Amino acid sequence: MSSTNKKWFSLNLNSKHKQGSSSCGCGKTSGGCNSHKEPNTELSEEEFFDAAVDASIGEERHKDGFDQVFDVKMSRRSAFKKLTASLLIGAGAVNTSCSFLAGDESKEKAQIDWEEQFKGNYKLMNNDEKKATVDRLVRSYQLRTGKTISMSSTNAEDDVLFGYAFNISKCQGYMDCVNACVEENNQDRNSQMQYIRIHEMEDGKGFNFNEADDNYYHEVPAEGHFYMGTQCFHCDNPPCVDVCPVQATWREDDGLVVIDYDWCVGCRYCMAACPYDGRRFNWSKPEVPESEINKNQHYLGNRLRKKGVMEKCTFCVQRSRAGKNPACVEACPTGARIFGNLLDPNSTIRWVLENKKVFRLKEDLGTEPKFWYFMD
Amino acid sequence: MRRLKVFKRLVIDSLDVITHGSKKYHLWMALLTLIMLIGMYCYSIQIEQGLSVTGMTDRVSWGLYISNFTFLVGVAAAAVMLVMPTYVLKDIDFKQAVLIGEGLAVAALIMCLAFVVADMGGPSVLWHMIPGIGVFNFPNSMLTWDVIVLNGYLFLNITIPFYILFRHYQGKKSKKSVYVPGAILSVFWAVAIHLVTAFLYQGLQARPFWNNALLGPRFLASAFAAGPALIIIVLAIIRTYTAFKIEDKTLKKIAMVVTVAAQINLIMLISELFKEFYAPTHHSESAYYLFFGLEGKTALLPWIWTAISMNVLATIILTFHKLRNNFKVLFFACFLLFVAIWIEKGFGLIVPGFIPGPYGKIAEYTPTGIEIGVTIGIWAMGAFVFTILARTAIKIETGELRYKKDK
Amino acid sequence: MNKCIIYKISIILCVVLCFSSCKHHDEEYHSVTDKIKAESKDYHGTSISSEAYIDHINTIEVTENDITFLIPERKGEIKSYSCTECHSKPLTQMQNEDLKKAHWDIKLSHADKMTMNCVTCHNGNDMDFLQSLTGDQIDFNASHLLCSQCHQKQFNDWTGGAHGKRIESWAPPRASMTCVNCHNPHTPGFESKWPERYNTQKINERK
Repeated sequence: MSSTNKKWFSLNLNSKHKQGSSSCGCGKTSGGCNSHKEPNTELSEEEFFDAAVDASIGEERHKDGFDQVFDVKMSRRSAFKKLTASLLIGAGAVNTSCSFLAGDESKEKAQIDWEEQFKGNYKLMNNDEKKATVDRLVRSYQLRTGKTISMSSTNAEDDVLFGYAFNISKCQGYMDCVNACVEENNQDRNSQMQYIRIHEMEDGKGFNFNEADDNYYHEVPAEGHFYMGTQCFHCDNPPCVDVCPVQATWREDDGLVVIDYDWCVGCRYCMAACPYDGRRFNWSKPEVPESEINKNQHYLGNRLRKKGVMEKCTFCVQRSRAGKNPACVEACPTGARIFGNLLDPNSTIRWVLENKKVFRLKEDLGTEPKFWYFMD
Repeated sequence: MRRLKVFKRLVIDSLDVITHGSKKYHLWMALLTLIMLIGMYCYSIQIEQGLSVTGMTDRVSWGLYISNFTFLVGVAAAAVMLVMPTYVLKDIDFKQAVLIGEGLAVAALIMCLAFVVADMGGPSVLWHMIPGIGVFNFPNSMLTWDVIVLNGYLFLNITIPFYILFRHYQGKKSKKSVYVPGAILSVFWAVAIHLVTAFLYQGLQARPFWNNALLGPRFLASAFAAGPALIIIVLAIIRTYTAFKIEDKTLKKIAMVVTVAAQINLIMLISELFKEFYAPTHHSESAYYLFFGLEGKTALLPWIWTAISMNVLATIILTFHKLRNNFKVLFFACFLLFVAIWIEKGFGLIVPGFIPGPYGKIAEYTPTGIEIGVTIGIWAMGAFVFTILARTAIKIETGELRYKKDK
Repeated sequence: MNKCIIYKISIILCVVLCFSSCKHHDEEYHSVTDKIKAESKDYHGTSISSEAYIDHINTIEVTENDITFLIPERKGEIKSYSCTECHSKPLTQMQNEDLKKAHWDIKLSHADKMTMNCVTCHNGNDMDFLQSLTGDQIDFNASHLLCSQCHQKQFNDWTGGAHGKRIESWAPPRASMTCVNCHNPHTPGFESKWPERYNTQKINERK
């Protein structure tokens, strides 16, 4: 398979590793993950990281992480914020940062923790603040594990509105999408969190979710059944966003409904408000084995979460904003999943909306999901 | 300057009152402290391991904590039942009861806030919710409305009785022009806290069980039944154990309030049941689960039927003057009503909202020991706070506690 | 009594003000489809491009049903193209000779025997090209034209983008997989298999 640089022409796409060496099993570009054992022809690990850092922080890259952390300018408002908040709950962080035994690294770690604890809401940050927090998180991960991740803070692009279409006559229930999603988005392995559910429906009973099985394990496609996938539908009028008391979740300009994991207080009101079961909560500390961590991350996307916060499908913001298809779309062997820019009149998603008989779930609720279903 | 001095004296005096008492009193406080400590230990486990130690899951994402929160908002709102006639309609009968009622409201509100905090996934970042420092999603989020009205109500219910007690402590009369506007405001406010809390659930199109127009009014009716019922029981206890005089007339008046509210509540329940079961739709499934169980899952059945029968029995007892005027029967009915509404407005309301899930999946909810521990701990805290408040208030009102210039 | 009324009115006013100022802000459309229609009127294109993700493959541009897009080049992928390097003579003559057998493992499971056999698509006399039902030459790079003879519906969906897959990127320029990238033309159906994942936690949850 690795004879040329054009690879995915494997005829049998059912097996997921045949996509070729330009993308590895997890669907990332070369060097994006660590699964390439042989020396890569294009970019080494460091070069890749440099390039990624270059792209994300530009001229600031010549300062090291330490400088970046300490050079953060403090406005009066943020200073006040930090001061007040620190009075409320900072004892733990103070403890560590004041320890005489602490070395430079642990001091830096404590400094980062401190600033992370009292930073503002990502939604209201300007680009510099976004970069600063992303750099802190990257540095923090480096200090803790010795490994380097790349994290982006790419904003929504003008003239882009993401939309999704799901072909219920094509889906065969293989669940490759679920697998790809879990690997791409660093979801908790212990609780087996999944953003996507595939419902196995019986023919002739309509969309009977009550009787559908979303956790089948038998050879698929099963006789007399069809399959319907659900995930976050990125509603244009999202009830979850309205109810959040702290604006920790919001709709970005490109239509993605995202969460600032660090701002979320974990009240789960959004979960109660979502009619589509699109949201997941970290009931305990999420754990992903170090070797399985997807290191190509976005602040609003697949970066590592903590316990007690909400998370959900982001249409793989780390991929989609870079121009790639979400992991589920890429992994689907049957082409049942179609993703694209709703504002581009020539996009495939627009063609589907204009030419196929599309429908959405629970349209009567007025949530305006940007996730359509259609049949051949 | 003088006021500060008096205030200092009041704090010292009340501390003295709180820490001294009969053996029974000390035993009571020690018991509450023990339960609170157990609750704190349970909460520390929850902090350590996350909310996975509770019975809540992605399917049923609110449980015992939010149920109790919802119920206690109603109890807090009930203080208004006493405030309104006393301050506004100048009905003298309620005067002694009103301070107790407001103390109860304060305790209930503190419990409400404690339950909300216990339910949070990230209590360490709760400052995100403080207006000005954090980001307050007002007016979009009903939860922010709730934060405002609850804290506002807490403020009102602390300041008004404090003003009155503070004046009485100095042996002065409290000025009507100062506290009456506040009292009138608190009347509207009490309705607001309960209505806003109902809107919290009512506004979710995702949960048809909650998304009905009757939810708010029914909240009010049940609150005005359960709250004063609790007040009657508390007054009875206070009457027995302290020198505080509460006339039979007062209790009877409050019982009247309870009766009317319980009757209205029952009518609304019938209306709700009719709607759900006469022409059942897809949206009636939660009600079916609650009352009859779905697909063999019947965890709530014993609870809700106990609640309904207690509710009906209590309402019948209260409706008959003869029975109501017999205090032993009255207290029994009030107890029944209180428990019934605690079940019905607690997990009888919250849990079925999540069952079946948005895609019809049924996963039942059973609270874990830790969750129950935290809950009982918070109830003990409420009782503790109330005992302190009531004890001080009673001592001032009975004239035992007075400011002495030079001691 | 007057005081009471003033309080009431002021509270009602407050509530009305709050509600009228919330929610319905900035662009308000009746539905998301209206929004798409309105906002895509002055669509200028984006800076996001698929080029980075497709430049490592050879693509060719096709225009079908007035839609132009890229598909992967095919001939370079066939192991021993061109076919005439072996198939120097017409098939009938080669089958007679005592040569080593090739393609012996290919089993045709595409429609039934009455409808299709090898020569429905391959031209025994000129193996470098496919042939249409009427005997016209079809280039291996344009194999979709061969499929479209019967599968018109799928073909139309594919040109629009409802059938098949995009290559890695959603962004323009559009590069889509062609029929044979997913379907083996000799056995075009998808096999059944076991799901990739089974969630044991959900079982516990629902007991």
